[in-house]
Amino acid sequence: MAIINQATKELQVKIVYYGPALGGKTTNLVQVHDHVQTAQGQKGKLVSLATSSDRTLFFDFLPIEAVAIKGFRTKFQLYTVPGQVIYNTTRQLVLRGVDGIVFVSDSQYEKMEENVKSFTNLEDNLKSLNLNLAHIPCVLQFNKRDLPNAAPVEYMEFLLNNRELQVPSFTACANKCEGVFETLNMITRMLLHKFINEANRKAA
Amino acid sequence: MSLPQLIEEDIRELDQALQELLQKSDASTGLIIDKGGFLITQSGDTRDLDTTTLAALSAASFAATQGIASLVNESNFSNIYQQGDTFSLLVSNIDEYLLLTVVFKAQISVGAVKYFAATTIKQVAKQMKRAHRRAPDKGIDLSMLNLADTGPLFRKKIA
Repeated sequence: MAIINQATKELQVKIVYYGPALGGKTTNLVQVHDHVQTAQGQKGKLVSLATSSDRTLFFDFLPIEAVAIKGFRTKFQLYTVPGQVIYNTTRQLVLRGVDGIVFVSDSQYEKMEENVKSFTNLEDNLKSLNLNLAHIPCVLQFNKRDLPNAAPVEYMEFLLNNRELQVPSFTACANKCEGVFETLNMITRMLLHKFINEANRKAA
Repeated sequence: MSLPQLIEEDIRELDQALQELLQKSDASTGLIIDKGGFLITQSGDTRDLDTTTLAALSAASFAATQGIASLVNESNFSNIYQQGDTFSLLVSNIDEYLLLTVVFKAQISVGAVKYFAATTIKQVAKQMKRAHRRAPDKGIDLSMLNLADTGPLFRKKIA
């Protein structure tokens, strides 16, 4: 759950990039880190707890700041989870206190089963933390659109976004930084609107 | 229930508790962090420290330790301690939401830091209870705020 600090006028929000192994979650963070326009001091270091072969072992972590709300410094903490199936305990740990989710799926036909399994795993893990995906802002990213064996977007929508409440989706080639910022801006926007709506509801 | 929103009084009390700890134990830096990885407040020498990352990593490390505790059927792994050559680190559980991270010189005994930290933990937990009572069902209140602008928050650098 986001932290609001009235004393320092800060809002801290946690966004987790989730998805199957080798889908491009870490690439998304690397691209944000390399290409974001920020004032000095608003972008932190990208920390990767990875194995020697560059597979995420625990998580990647990137803190970035923006003036999103008048008078409040908004600090977004971006995390990735390890995609490999065996690391489920680690994924649960990283999800603790999550405010928003970016689900990075792999567009290649042969990865569809992994995409669906990872999405189900996300729902299960949220349930174990007493959270419900319907109440958490979520954005889908269909990554690796440039590969020749990419499945049609409609098919991926059918597989991953076929619920009562559909979430925004973006196509991406994360390694070329296409779609990365569109995805990030949508999730941050959704999060801020959610906080403001909740606040207004409580005030009413 | 989530972490209540914190006002100046809370942060002042938390800072004071941290400063007392640093003074008594001679530790270098104290942080109060949320278990989700957010830094709430910090005290002491933070010049050469990336405290945002330190907070995120201590919370993750503590969470991993809790995971290990449940594997060995232990419910009380309430501290993690790492001894280094020049600096050591202690991460202690405060309450359901918060952790205390203390960085101290390696020659200082961890026993002393733990002893003084016990008081700090009580002080912080007490103030958090007060914060909860102040607004029992209000985790967040942004009712007086408006979005600064409706454009994208993050822009890509033009190459």
